[in-house]
Amino acid sequence: MITAEQKPIDEIRKMIAPYKRILVLGCASCVAECAAGGEKETAMLASTLRMAARMNQEDVVIQEKTLERQCVKDFVILLDDILDNYDAILSLGCGAGVQAVADMYEDIPVIPALNTEFIGETKDQGLWVENCLGCGDCMLYYFGGVCPLARCSKHLLNGPCGGSKDGRCEVNPDIPCAWQLIIDRLSRFNALDRLEEIYPPKDWSKKQGKGPRKIIREDQQK
Amino acid sequence: MERVIAFFYCQNTPSSTETDRQMLEKKYGKNIRLFPIPCSGRLEPVHILRALESFTDAAYLITCPEGTCRYFEGNLRARKRVIRAQQFITAIGLEKERAGIYMRSAGNTKKLSEIVEELFEIASKLPPSPVFRYSEREV
Repeated sequence: MITAEQKPIDEIRKMIAPYKRILVLGCASCVAECAAGGEKETAMLASTLRMAARMNQEDVVIQEKTLERQCVKDFVILLDDILDNYDAILSLGCGAGVQAVADMYEDIPVIPALNTEFIGETKDQGLWVENCLGCGDCMLYYFGGVCPLARCSKHLLNGPCGGSKDGRCEVNPDIPCAWQLIIDRLSRFNALDRLEEIYPPKDWSKKQGKGPRKIIREDQQK
Repeated sequence: MERVIAFFYCQNTPSSTETDRQMLEKKYGKNIRLFPIPCSGRLEPVHILRALESFTDAAYLITCPEGTCRYFEGNLRARKRVIRAQQFITAIGLEKERAGIYMRSAGNTKKLSEIVEELFEIASKLPPSPVFRYSEREV
C-alpha cells in the first residue's frame, strides 16, 4: 500500500488561507490503513481546522467527506453533486489521489494535506515499513522474497557488503541486513544457487526517464 | 464566563452508575457533560477534538489504574490517544491541558464524583476556551 503522513497543521493552514469554503476530503484506502487520511483522520483534521478558524475569527466553512478511493474516477465522481458548495478541496489522499481529483475538477484547487511516503507494509500496529520501490522489474524470486533495492541501505543487487554485523545493517543498526535475510531465506529453500549469477545494475532507463509510467490492460477496458 | 467541562469515563470507575451520573449533572448543571464509556480504550482523539470544538473548555478522560483494565490495555491505548489529541490542539495554539487523562493509581478508590470535583477545580483555572471567544457553543 501507499503510506503517508499528515503535513504540519501550520503548513496546511497557510495553504488553505485564501479559501472560504473548504471540503476536507479523506480516502478510505491505503491512507486509512496507515492512519493518515481515513475517515477518523479526516474528522480530526477538519475539527482542528474549524477550531483554529473560530479562534481567529475567520469566516470559513470547513466540511468533511471520505471517498472509498480518491485515485479511482468511479468514486471521485461522487463529488459532482456537492462541489458547487466549495472553493477548495483539502485532500487527505496520497499524491495519486490528489492528482486524480484535480484532474477531474479543473476549476477547483486541490490541496494536499499529506506527505506521501512510500510503498510498504503494515508491520505491526502503528508501524509501517518500506519494502518496494516499484521498479517495474520485480526480482523478488531471485532474492527469496526480500527486495535488496528497497531494504538494503546500499541497494546492492550483489551483496552482502562487508558491513553486515550480527544480521544488522552497518548503515542503520536498527534494521536487519537485507542480505542476511536473503541468504537465510534462500538457504531455507535450498536455493542459494540463485545467487551464483551476477546481477547487472538495473536499467532504469527502461522504466524511468520517459515520464509517468502506465499500465494498459485491454481485458480490463471497456 | 462559565466553564463547561466534558468528562469521558470508564464505567468501571467506582460509583459511576447512572444514578451517580444524574446526581452529578444535577449538582453542576450545564457546567459539566458526562460521557460514560464501556472502556477508556473506546475513546478516539476525534471525540476529544469534537467536544473542544463544539461545547467544552476542557475534556478529560477518567480511566482505571494501569494494569487493571478489564480489556487488558484499553487505558494504555487511551493515554496515547489523549496525547494525540493534545498534539492537534497545541498545533493551533490551544493549551495542552484542555485535553487530559486521569488514570487512577492502584489503590485509589476515589468515586467518580470526587474525581470530577478535583478535575473541575483544575479545569476552572484555565481561561475560557478561545474557540468560543467569537462564536456560541453548539450544544
